[in-house]
Formats: sequence, structure tokens, C-alpha cells
Amino acid sequence: MPGFTHLHTVSGFSARYGASHPERLAERAVERGMDALALTDRDTLAGTVRFAKACARAGVRPLFGAELAVAAPEPETDRTETSVRRDRRRVPVRGGAFVDESAPRVTFLARDGARGWADLCRLVSAAHTAEGTPLLPWPDNHADGLTVLLGPDSDVGRALAAGRPDRAARLLAPWREVYGDALRLEAVWHGREGTGPGSLRLASRTVGFAAEQGVRPVLSNAVRYADPGQGQVADVLDAARRLVPIDATGELDSGEAWLKDAGAMGRAAERIVESAGFRRETAHRLLEQTRATAAECLVDPEDDLGMGAVHFPEPHLVGAGRRTAQRALASRAAAGMVRRGYDRRRDHREYWERMHHELDIIAHHGFASYFLTVAQVVDDVRHMGIRVAARGSGAGSLVNHLLGIAHADPVEHGLLMERFLSKERVVLPDIDIDVESARRLEVYRAIIGRFGTERVATVAMPETYRVRHAIRDVGAALSMDPAEIDRVAKSFPHIRARDARAALEELPELKELAGEQERYGKLWELVEGLDALPRGVAMHPCGVLLSDASLLSRTPVMPTSGEGFPMAQFDKDDVEDLGLLKLDVLGVRMQSAMAHAVAEVKRATGTEVDLDAVPEGDPATYRMIRSAETLGCFQIESPGQRDLVGRLQPSTFHDLVVDISLFRPGPVAADMVRPFIEARHGRAPVRYPHEDLAEPLAGTYGVVVFHEQIIDIVDIMTGCGRGEADRVRRGLSDPESQGRIKVWFAQHATANGYDAETIQRTWEIVEAFGSYGFCKAHAVAFAVPTYQSAWLKAHHPAAFYAGLLTHDPGMYPKRLLLADARRRGVPILPLDVNKSGVAHRIELVSDSSSRRKKVWGLRLALSDVHGISEAEAERTAAGQPYASLLDFWERARPSRPLAGRLAQVGALDAFGANRRDLQLHLTELHRGARGGRGDQLPLAGGRKTASAGLPDLTSAERLSAELGVLSMDASRNLMDDHRTFLRELGVVSAKRLREARHGETVLVAGAKAATQTPPIRSGRRVIFSTLDDGSGLVDLAFFDDSHDACAHTVFHSWLLLVRGVVQRRGPRSLSVVGSAAWNLADLLEVRREEGLEGVAARLAGTGGGQGGDDPEGGPARRRLAGSDGQPAPAGSAAQDPVEQRRIRMSTGYEMHPWADLRPAGEGPAVGRKLWHQSPGSAG
Amino acid sequence: MTILCVRFQLPPMYEAALPELLGLLEEFTPVVEALPPDGALADLRGAERYFGRDAVELASVIRVRALALYGVDCVIGAGPGPMLARMALRDARPGLTRAVPGGEERDFLAGKPVAALPGVGTATARTLCEYGLDTLGRVAAAPLSTLQRLVGARSGRELHEKANGVDRGRVVPNGVSRSLAADRSFDRDELDPGRHRRALLSAAGELGARLRAVHKVCRTLTLTVRYADRSATTRSRTLKEPTAHSAALTRTAYDLYEALGLQRARVRSIALRAEGLAPAEQASHQLTFDPVDEKVRRIEEVADRARAKFGPKAVMPGSLAA
Repeated sequence: MPGFTHLHTVSGFSARYGASHPERLAERAVERGMDALALTDRDTLAGTVRFAKACARAGVRPLFGAELAVAAPEPETDRTETSVRRDRRRVPVRGGAFVDESAPRVTFLARDGARGWADLCRLVSAAHTAEGTPLLPWPDNHADGLTVLLGPDSDVGRALAAGRPDRAARLLAPWREVYGDALRLEAVWHGREGTGPGSLRLASRTVGFAAEQGVRPVLSNAVRYADPGQGQVADVLDAARRLVPIDATGELDSGEAWLKDAGAMGRAAERIVESAGFRRETAHRLLEQTRATAAECLVDPEDDLGMGAVHFPEPHLVGAGRRTAQRALASRAAAGMVRRGYDRRRDHREYWERMHHELDIIAHHGFASYFLTVAQVVDDVRHMGIRVAARGSGAGSLVNHLLGIAHADPVEHGLLMERFLSKERVVLPDIDIDVESARRLEVYRAIIGRFGTERVATVAMPETYRVRHAIRDVGAALSMDPAEIDRVAKSFPHIRARDARAALEELPELKELAGEQERYGKLWELVEGLDALPRGVAMHPCGVLLSDASLLSRTPVMPTSGEGFPMAQFDKDDVEDLGLLKLDVLGVRMQSAMAHAVAEVKRATGTEVDLDAVPEGDPATYRMIRSAETLGCFQIESPGQRDLVGRLQPSTFHDLVVDISLFRPGPVAADMVRPFIEARHGRAPVRYPHEDLAEPLAGTYGVVVFHEQIIDIVDIMTGCGRGEADRVRRGLSDPESQGRIKVWFAQHATANGYDAETIQRTWEIVEAFGSYGFCKAHAVAFAVPTYQSAWLKAHHPAAFYAGLLTHDPGMYPKRLLLADARRRGVPILPLDVNKSGVAHRIELVSDSSSRRKKVWGLRLALSDVHGISEAEAERTAAGQPYASLLDFWERARPSRPLAGRLAQVGALDAFGANRRDLQLHLTELHRGARGGRGDQLPLAGGRKTASAGLPDLTSAERLSAELGVLSMDASRNLMDDHRTFLRELGVVSAKRLREARHGETVLVAGAKAATQTPPIRSGRRVIFSTLDDGSGLVDLAFFDDSHDACAHTVFHSWLLLVRGVVQRRGPRSLSVVGSAAWNLADLLEVRREEGLEGVAARLAGTGGGQGGDDPEGGPARRRLAGSDGQPAPAGSAAQDPVEQRRIRMSTGYEMHPWADLRPAGEGPAVGRKLWHQSPGSAG
Repeated sequence: MTILCVRFQLPPMYEAALPELLGLLEEFTPVVEALPPDGALADLRGAERYFGRDAVELASVIRVRALALYGVDCVIGAGPGPMLARMALRDARPGLTRAVPGGEERDFLAGKPVAALPGVGTATARTLCEYGLDTLGRVAAAPLSTLQRLVGARSGRELHEKANGVDRGRVVPNGVSRSLAADRSFDRDELDPGRHRRALLSAAGELGARLRAVHKVCRTLTLTVRYADRSATTRSRTLKEPTAHSAALTRTAYDLYEALGLQRARVRSIALRAEGLAPAEQASHQLTFDPVDEKVRRIEEVADRARAKFGPKAVMPGSLAA
């Protein structure tokens, strides 16, 4: 008996409905002997590509379809009345209204190849045009290439369930009219009681009704999950979708909606036909109809979906006019040569040859339109006055450079076209462009405006369940206490949901939670069941699809929620498989920040700074970089990078490129950093495997850093050409092909006359490269803004900080940047309604005659005030100057709370009176607008505001107000107030720490700035954190033997006191290895209330604990000794569960399972969390 | 210091026991003001002379009786006025009655946060704190005119007086002191309106039976719905006529519930309270020509008798029996 075909199957892409991934469904289908399977997700085709690929792997024929909510043909009079009444229902005082799922649902299957697929795309797009939940309007509900299944959830099915065959017949008529012979009635039996969906009686009624009406019936199982036993997960998904808890007494999932095999479906068919009053043998007719329906649906993933084919915008849209795209590209490239003056250089032949070579490759693939399209976009963006830069391997192409897409000259920097595109490479190349983040959406609009909505769509990004969301949704479904759900969810780092129980066992900071694990019952199992299921969809932050006019017949498109951009339902990987051209337009905040800085310099001084033309090799800039005080500089501001920069001591642009390439997980893991630095500072000799390789390796002291160098090595040793060499390089990451490459490499290198030893040594380098290395083109593209931002920091510090604070780039909180500015001698000018702008500005503080150099200060921005609206900020800035409080109130028209906040942080100090009195006056102005109380506001001379006798803010209250309102300690560092206590403890300040000896045990304290657990070489989990204490930054590292004692405190405190040992690795490289940590805020509280004795008691007690001091019995050591009780194998990390769970990257390099996660807690502190909340604090 | 403020340590959501405990206080003085859900004010001016003990000693007696009779512990504060007694309660703990002697009011108040003052709600407290007047000492020091500008003329004056220890309040026996409550909680988040209504029906039935048992009628019905996030909604409605008739109570309870229009709210408990109790013989009752009303009331009477004989579950509405 041939297999059964499930025509109605949903995957996890039906957000909060399906419980299995498409891959799992395809696998199970094969295991259960089926040879075709349909995917009919709710309202989406997003799973199509993954499904098609999985089916191809598994060897089943995919059928494509969708399940859509359909509007009624014409509004029936009685229905509308009731629905109006329903709308008039009372608005709930609490909890919100029910999620409306009343629209009937119908399954559509694509039947006739490309036409069917195009129809399906059109219907899905049409269903998403209206506001609110997707609903297919009846006028759009027609198609020639589709088969329609009317199941239990359709209007017809519902009428049958209600025992109204007459009504069902009436409702069937319009469907018949539109779809005629392509209409099917779908019978589903899930073993339910009654006559509702899934009941035997409804199934038999459906079959009977089909016979009566002459419509063909089919059998389906309305599959929601692949395997039996997943009904509980389906219940959780239902609850999460409807936003209600699981109702144990109500109707739960039947547990039957799994991918049943042919035998089970055959038995179901027999039961259904029997209870419909037919003979049992007629069951095979029902199955036959189902099989025939499946057989008709012929959509081929390659031919009909367009997988593998490429579609570029038509040439006439990208400035080719009536010429071919290739001709237009060639002439534009030649024009670029002349414009940049390369044709007048002495080595112009090299440039011309390179250009023609590249044009050949482009012509070979027929990608000319693609280059023209990108060039067109870049031109448009530049015309809008937006900073734009290319990133990625595209920077290696001279043609890109000539078209104005990439800044850096690839010939000069030794970048290879082959890394980007070669004749041997068949995948679509990608060019990414960086634009100012603040204007990214403008760029999108420009692209849509240029090519039209029928050719452009943004790319979707499915949001999938990770552990925190899974806990929240499952907890809510299980009626857990909301406060408790919140606590449990927040204590987890951002890891995969499927690791929940493993994390509980292994992560020290979850120890407490693990103890009460049992209390939550099924929670953990269900949380893991939700792993990686899509729970919603968002717009991908950078991808834009560009295609020819046929886009909408190949891709379903829906509007994005906020901006209403058209968005394809496919994600970025799917899009590549479908052969759609994707351009990555990344919003880079640093670009915005630099643009703002340049604009500020021009506004304040009149000097025009062209960042793209800043002189190279500026000594002041490199001095600043070498001092490792690179906070805020692009790519080199992280603690690890500051450490590396301190050791590397860059002095040229090339050094920056190398520095950026070295600070990658791979190179760090392969320990390339140390030999490189040794060789660079002349402490170790430079070695080459063979003198022929000296040329590509000379720039990096014989250490392989770049992809380009591997390409060169392979090319030189084997003489295979760079295109082939790039293919070889790509093959290295796959262990299987690595073996073949090794043989091939040895053969060809021998043929070229290299001896066996050289080959062996070179191969070792090449092989090791599988796990590290970085594309030089990327690094060059990164290094350009790095240098530009560092240059700005060195030469226009005030403007630089103004830009940073306005656009908030980077990994540090704003208050840390402000502290950095203060340390670098940039005066911080307080907020003042008469002087502050919407954005941060620079202001001339003094050109004190003693020093002729002008000092520029940083004036804080109105937009940083908590709760200020854009309109209010602009109105306030536009109305300057204000003569009095009354004047300000009347013209700037701030809201009452906003005016109060401005008064608190001293923005209104210019109007006289103390800040509390000002607040009172503001309140009365607010109230007094009702009139008749003019004398309530005594104004001294109309300018100054009279005192009301209220106590002024104390200094501590002012700081608290600044943190609360601006999220920054603007007037001084918040740690200053704790000096006395820190001195009592003997805490070493960051400044004095620089003189500390290596190996000294110290106490450090400060506000936590950034915490990371990045992947590192040893595969262990290390917590890196940075503290700011006002005098500078202290970089901390916690190794896993201290995690049991410290991890929770480090993740969940804002202010930290840490005991640790000083580690020195260079003159500028310094960090503290933590062994104990306390929450400083707690200690301060104790100090205030109980005095030093209380603090001593706290320190003696549970407080920080002593991580590594216990040589034998500590829990950390026990873990290392192996969970099986046997001693750890000598010389290696112990065998323990962590060991087996270590994640092996495709590059062969290992990662600790919990590394590189956003840690638990809530990130660095902002605002008032850093400040104790005394009853006297303002506001 | 003749006013006591008592807080009984009742288990949460067990307001129903309060009226009995008020009865205990009424053995000492008729002037008792209930502070639901678990507190009361008592004026012992007459009692001190009658019992020959001062208020602090009487407080110990009250505590012992509450523990002995009902097994409920209590915390007691004493002061010259209701406001000061309440403030004193904040410093008291079981077994230690905090008393504020006359003349020390200002010193007692000076260090207290404004929000502790009865009559200063969160809004007023926020306003005062915004202006740096976070302790009562500071409030007392601020000029009267400024206070009046801050919170209004009348409340400004009251605040000024209270902060200076002038307590003009009296203990007023109130309606709530004579109230009955019935609580129905769910063991998980309950959304089903059917089950909500069953809870209401049973609670209203219980209230009616208890009212009739003591021959009282109630004037007002208050519905409190508590949600999973520990918040609550409270609504009251005055009945058309004071009654103890279960059907009338149920109808009003349903109306109150319908008015909330709950759909997805995660309800954890529903409480009904009958307030404004008065003797049944003083209640007026609108007669109608409809015989049904009369019959229902007579059936209720019979049912009450059956319940008295065979236990409270002998007769109950069909929907609750299932």
C-alpha cells in the first residue's frame, strides 16, 4: 500500500501554533514511509525554503500551501448586527479583551507549478494588506492554480458542525463558483467527542455532505506536530497565542494531530466512511481522492519557486539606458579610473589590467546589473548627504572602488578580487554598505522610491523562542505567579531554550534556582519543547531585496508593523536560496555619531572637516590609540581590544587592519596574538615556511592573519590560480574535503619543486587556518571608520563626545563616555534651557589668554531628558533665549512633569530661586492657567523668581536627580560620594592601579559598565567585566573557579566591590583577576545603617565567598574532577558534562557551551539604579 | 492616650473574621471604628474608668482575649487621638504596645516619613517628597502658606496641624464595622465567566444565609476581584432596598461583575462584602403583585430551616451542586 500524503500540515513557522520544525516533519514523513508531504503554514510561506531543502535531503516530494483566514463573501445582515453588538461590549477593566480568532480558515495548495506558486504568493500578500490580523478579503480570493481544502475550520465546516447542512450548502456555492473543480472538502478525525472540529461525527458529516454535493472529499490529519506526545506543547502554544492560561477543564489539544503513518490514516478513513453510512470498502475511495489531489499539486522547488535562479533589476533602472548592463558598467569603471587619477599614475597598467580582469569575471557570471544596482543605491544615498561606506569582501574589488562603492584602494592594500568573486565561485557575491543609523529608514525609502514596491522588499527575521521568552510564555500558560515568572526568566542568561535544564545544572549563578527546580513541575520540559520555534517576525535590520518586476509573484510580502515597508516573509538565508538579490544596508551608529561631530565642528567653528580626507598617519591619533584610551572609537573600545591595542602599539593604518583582524575568536583561540606581538617588537625572529612565501607574509611578520594570505600561499605553492585557491580555502573548514585538499596540495606543490618538509610545514599552517583568519577586505573596511573616529577623538574631542552621546554607539553606557570625557579634560556643561540644543553640542568655554588654545566644552542635550518628546525638545530649542520662568513656560510649553525634571537637573537655574522653589512655581503656573491668580507668582523685576522657603536639593539629591533624569552623573562621578567608605576599605583606585605590581592582591570598586562572557581559547567560560570608579576603568576577569562564589553577584549588581590579583602583560596592559565580589550598594547601605561592624559582619558571612581558596573540596574543583567520581585525566581539562557539550564550530574551533551569551541580569546600570533611594531623593 | 489602634494578624484574604473580632472590642467600648481588612480603632475614654486600668493595660487584655478566643494575635498602638494611635501602631509589634503620651507628639512625629501620616495618600506623599518635604519634621517647619500652595488650602492647613501633632480626629463607629464578607478563591488563573458566576452565586448565597441567621439586612454590596499579579478591582453598589434575600444579592453581584467586562483577566479570587447592616425588622420591603417573589422568599425560609437542621449543604442551587 503506497504511503498517505498529508495535505494539511503546519510547522513552527505558524507562529504560536505549529510545534515542529519543517525539517523534523520532512524527516518523520520519510521514516513513516510517505513520499510526499504538504506544508500549509498559517498566514505565511516563511517555512517554504527550509521545508523544500529538508524534503530534498530526506527524499520526499514537497507540496506548498498556506492556511489563510478568509472573509465572508458578502456580509450577511444578521451577522453584522451581532458583530456590531460584540464590538459594543464593555471594555474589560483589567486583563484586556480576548484574541479574536473567529475568522474561518481554509487551506490553499499550489497546484500548477509557477502559476500556482504565484497565486499562493498573491493570496498570502493580499491577506496581509489590511490592518490587524491577516485576513484574505473575498474579492482577492480567486486563483486558477490553487486547490482549496474546506476543512472543519472553514465556514462550510462550521455550518456542518452546527448541524446545518442547508446553510453549509448555501455557503459552499460561492466557493464552487470561484474554484469549481479545484474544491475539496477535508475530513479530519482527532478522536474528539461531540460534533466539533476533530470529531468523528463532523468527519462523517463532511464525507456525506461531499457525496451529496458532488464535491470530492479528502482525508487529512490537520497536523500540528511531528510526533505523538507533543499535545502539551501545542496547548502551551495555544495559550501563548490566545494570551490566556491553559484551561485544564476546557478543551485541550487532542494529542492526535501528529504526522500519522499510512496505516493509521487508513483506519481513520474506514471509521469515517463507516459512520457516514457507507461500506467499509469505500474508505479506499477517500484515500484515493486524497492521493489524486496530492498528485495534482506539482510545484517544483527549482523551476517554479525560482530557487537557484537570479533576478536583478532591469538594466534601464540602474542607469544603463539602452545599452547592455555590461557596457554601462565598463564605461562607468573607466570613468572612475580617470576621475580618481589612476590612469595618470606610473603603475596605471596594473590598474587597467586589474579592471579588465574583474570586468571579465563579472561578465562571465552576468552580474553587471548587480554592480550597477549597488552603485546606483550608493550614489542615491550620497546625494542625500548621508555618510556611506562599503564593508565586507566587496571592498576587495577594484570595480567597486571605481564605481564609488568602496573607499579603500584595493590595489594599494593588497586586497584580492578572488576573495569576493571568481569564475570558479558560483554563489551570489554580497556587497554590504554601512550608512548612518539615524537615517537608515530614509535610505530604505530612497531605495523603494528608486525601484518601486514591486521590486523592493525588506527581509524578515523570525524571532524564535529562547529560554527567557519560553519561560515567560510557559509560565503564563501554567498560571504561575507573574512576579515569580519574571524572577525565574531574568535569572537566566540569553541561551537556547533547549539548554534550560543543562544550564540549571551547570551554571553557578543559577545554583539557587536549581535548588527549587522541582517546584515548577512540567515547566522545564515544556520550555525545552518550545526551543527555537518562531514566535513572531520582525524586519531584518539590514537586508533589502532587489529584484526585477516579478518579485511579487515569487515572494509573499507583508507590511512591517511600524513603518509599513513591504517585507518579504523569507529570512536572509531563504532569500539567497531563492536567488533574490539582497543588499545589506547596515545602520552604523558610529557613522551617525561622526556625521554629528563633523556637523558640530562646522556649526561652532565654521571649519569644514572632510573625514574621508583626513591625513593618514597622524601622530596625535596614533599616540592616543597607543595609550589604549580608546573608549568610543569604532571597533577598538572593548576591554579586550584596549588590552590588545596596548600590547600591539599600532602606528600605521596597516597595524590597525591587523589589530582588528587579530581580535577575532579564531586568532585568539589559535594563539596567533602572542607570536605576532613578539615578532613585532623584535623579541622573536620572523620565520617563513619558504622564502617564496615571504612576500605575502612579510606584512604580518610571518604570521598568517588574513584569508588573502592563504589564497596567495596556495596559489604560489600549487600555481592553481587565485580563483581556485579561494575555493580551496573555503573547502578547508570542512573536515571531509580537507583530507582531499591535503593530497591535492602535496601533489601540486611537489610538482612545483617544493621539498616535503616545506610542504608539511606550510600545510600545517594552511590546515590550522581552517579555524581562524579574517578577510582583509573586511578589516580594511572596518579600519577606515576606526581611524576616522580615533582622529576625531584626538583632534575634536568635544565634538566627538557630542556625536557619541547623541547617537549612543558602542558597548558602554553613556555615563561612562561622560566620565571618559571628563578625564580627558573636556568640560561638561550642564543642561540649560537657554543654551542646550536638541542634540549634544559643543560650546566655547574659554580662550583663556594664558593659553592660546581654545577649550571647547560639551553642552548636554535636551533629548537626553527622560520623557521629553521630540516636539518638546525642538520647541524648547527653537524658542531660545528665555527671559524668565514665565517666558519659558509660555513659549516652550513643556509638560508639567518635564518642566519639573528640567528644574531638578538645574536646567532652569538661570531664572533664580532654588530648584524646589522653581518646581513649586511651575506647578502653580500649570494650575494657574485657569486664571485670576497672577499675584501667585511673585517675580522680582520680572526676571528673577522669588523664593518660597522650601529646602533646596542637597548635593546627593542633585546627583540622584541627574541619574534619574539624564541617566548620567553629569556634575561629578557618582563614585565620588562613596570615597570615604572606599578609603576605609582600602580600595585601590583605577588610577593608582597602574602602579600596582603584578601578582598583588587588591580591592577595586566601581559602577559596572559592561559584562561579557566571550568565547576564549581555553574553551572555558570567563566573565569579563569593566568597572568605572571615576578615576578610570578597571578591567576584571573571573575564571570559572570563582564563578560559584561570584557569578551571581557580578551579573546582578550595579555597584561592585571586588577582590582580585593584578595581572600585567605589558606596559599598558593590566587587568584584575577577581576572586571574590560583593554588591557595593548593599555594603554602603550596611555601612550607613550599622557602621563598620555591620560591614565586617557582612564580609565575614556569606557576602562574597572565597572562590579558589579551597584547594580540595570546593565545588568548582569537584566539578573538574569529573562527575563519574574518577580522577580527572592528567594534563587536560576534566571530563565533565560541560566537556561533552562544548560547541564545535564549523571552523573546528571549540567554544564553551555558555560562552558568548548575553549574560543574566539586566546589562549595565543606567540611571537611578546606581543610586540608593533614600526617602529624601528628589522626585 | 485613650485611643487604641488594633491590627489583627489575620491570614490574607480572610477578612470574614473581622466582624467577630470587632465584637470583641465592643465588649470594652461601644465606640469602635473598623479599618478593613484587618484593623480597628477603639476609643477607651469611658472604659479606662470603668475597668480601672489605663489604655496600655487594656491593650494587653484585648490581646490575651483575641488569642484565647479566636487564636488571632494582634498589634496595638495607643495615642491621644486616632491619628497618633495609628502612627504608634507602626512602631508596635505583638506583645509590645507602643503608646504616645500627650505632649510628646511633635518629637514622635518629627522623624516619620510623610507617607506614614493617615490621610496622606501616595499622591500627596509624592508631591511633598518632590519638594523635599519628606519627613513630618520638615513639613512642620515649612511655612503654612507654602504647604497650602502645595496641596491646597484646606488639606494644607490640616497637614500643617497634623504634622505639628494636633489630632482633631474622633473615633466614629462606621458602617463597615457591621459587615460580612465571603471569599471564593481559585487554585489557578480562572478566566471562565461561568465559574466566576458560580463563585458569586455561592458567595452571595452564603452572605444571605448568614445575614438571615442574625436577622439583619444589608444596604450595600462590594465586589473585590483579585488577579494573578496581586492587583485587585473593587466596585460597590447600593441595593434598591436593604435586604438579606439571596436572590437579590446574587442579582446585584452579577451586575457588579458584568460591569467589569472581564475577558482575559487572570482572576485568582472573588470576594463579596455585605455592608451597612441593619436589623431586619427595621427594613422596608416593597411588596409586589407578583406571586413569584413571595414564593421564592418562602422557599428560602424553608431552605434556611432545612440547612439549620441538616447542615449548610442540605439545600443549594443546582449549578453549585454539580
